Amino acid sequence: MLEVRNLDKHFGGLAAVSELDLNVSQGEIFGLIGPNGAGKTTVLNVIAGTFLPTRGKVIFKGEDITRFPPYRRAQRGIARVFQRNVLFRSFTVKENLLVGFHLRSSKSATEIFYKNAAAHNQERVEREKAMQILRFVGLSQQADELAINLPHGYQRALCLAVALATEPELLLLDEPLTGMSAEETATMMDMIRALRDERGITSVVVEHNIRAVLGLCDRIAVLDYGRKICEGLPKEVVENPEVIEAYLGAEQDAV
Amino acid sequence: MNRRQIIKPTSIVAIIIILFLAPVLIESIYWMSILALACINVLLVSSLRSIKLLDHISLGHVGFTLIGAYGTALLVMKVGLPFWGALIMAGLMSSFVALVLGYPFLKVKGMYFAILTLLTAETFRSIAYYWRGLTGGQLGLLNIPPPSPLTFPGLGTISFDTIHNYYYIILIVVLISLSIIYRLEHSHLSFKWQAIRDADNLAQSVGINVAWYKMVNFAIACFFAGIAGGLFAHYQHNLSADATSRFGVWTTLYLLIYLVVGGEAKFAGPIIGTLVLMFVGEFARPLGEFQPMIIGALAIFVVLLLPGGIIGLPDQFKLLYRKLLKQTTGVQGSV
Repeated sequence: MLEVRNLDKHFGGLAAVSELDLNVSQGEIFGLIGPNGAGKTTVLNVIAGTFLPTRGKVIFKGEDITRFPPYRRAQRGIARVFQRNVLFRSFTVKENLLVGFHLRSSKSATEIFYKNAAAHNQERVEREKAMQILRFVGLSQQADELAINLPHGYQRALCLAVALATEPELLLLDEPLTGMSAEETATMMDMIRALRDERGITSVVVEHNIRAVLGLCDRIAVLDYGRKICEGLPKEVVENPEVIEAYLGAEQDAV
Repeated sequence: MNRRQIIKPTSIVAIIIILFLAPVLIESIYWMSILALACINVLLVSSLRSIKLLDHISLGHVGFTLIGAYGTALLVMKVGLPFWGALIMAGLMSSFVALVLGYPFLKVKGMYFAILTLLTAETFRSIAYYWRGLTGGQLGLLNIPPPSPLTFPGLGTISFDTIHNYYYIILIVVLISLSIIYRLEHSHLSFKWQAIRDADNLAQSVGINVAWYKMVNFAIACFFAGIAGGLFAHYQHNLSADATSRFGVWTTLYLLIYLVVGGEAKFAGPIIGTLVLMFVGEFARPLGEFQPMIIGALAIFVVLLLPGGIIGLPDQFKLLYRKLLKQTTGVQGSV
């Protein structure tokens, strides 16, 4: 479904990512891990279109999207959850989702001056759809609160909800579990799994929480200094001596 | 229906009726001119606020006013278009220039955007000042004719050669423009503008073409700046573009002060700010060179004590009232 081919990304003289190949298939939860500064977020940024790669290609559903701006990738079905809680701060929780519906709803210029019955109907349908998504992420009680006033864990869930509002096929999750309690972490992991099982949504997860990644992901790639040093099932990755040396060595006791 | 729902529309209707009756009530040509200019400024500041929805501050609004003013005047005088056609054409010209410039300009934010627009306006002004063949150069454009008289069947003919009559054209165009800006602000377009203001990276990633929506916003605001300019050209009857003219930096600063003093949070902010400050300015005119100081002092006062501008006053009073109520009775006041 998503293919990254021979990707290089340089910032000035610094090679953040080099010669990276990734292959994510439909309905998979793909983990991207590595020590700090390994280039995980850079890879995600290139897939989402925030950065253009120095070399290499990004192919999504057989289409070369390497040069697409982010909003066109969103049209193709790629949604993203940012590392920090990026939300529409001055909007309510529900309004945040309504912005997310932008892609799948057609609004004409005449609506600025006059709304006909169909437009009103569409608005009602969208509000209902927003509530459905909010119920899924467990925020239906907070629908009318300002996004900025939510606690961190809820904001994280709202980030996911906004991404879901675009009806994506591929979710890019940048550290979805940071700063969450054990309980919230478990809920978030359940949600990502449910999205895969019920809607067939593919996810690429960048995460620091190793235990969570091992439990959540179907396949994992490990980056170190911008290179992929290993890829495979969680079990294989943990046993790979190179990975242990590069990354897990210090944390082995913790895992 | 609650009280608010009745008070608001009736007061708006009342104000519009008073504005329409103004030429009958005010005999003085001087005060009529001030009122007409105030209407033009209201449109300028309101369209400036429309850009502010993106959190961009444009210091180049007078530049687009200049395009509208010279555009309308030249189209009427050299091409021979009727006033209304020229006005719309000039507005479109101004918005087209904004669309083209908006693409590179809107990639930067904050101070950088402000500087770019400021320099653009000064560039337009210099071009108008030195292009003798087209704009009359330093002498300016003289004798811009009033709009041709309109004949209403059964009512007779109205000519627009006096300010009392031309005021009606200004008032009607400004009211139509304001209602369009108002509708825009309550539409899905403005919803996206505010989303872009809050988080442009997230707006991108949910599929909003951020660059395009910003350009549309800028082009719409500059369209109305152009319209205001066109109205101004026929109001003034002659145009010049030297540094102290209407198209200099001073106007930009005054427009900003009107916006800040009026309050940018609400649609009525720019309207109230412009009207209040323009009339304060007029009453302070006998003070001569101290007049800008009065405006400046008022601006500082508002910025320090009323962060929401004049339009935020009722909310502040409500807050104060509730606080007092709480202190005296020890019970929290209801909303």
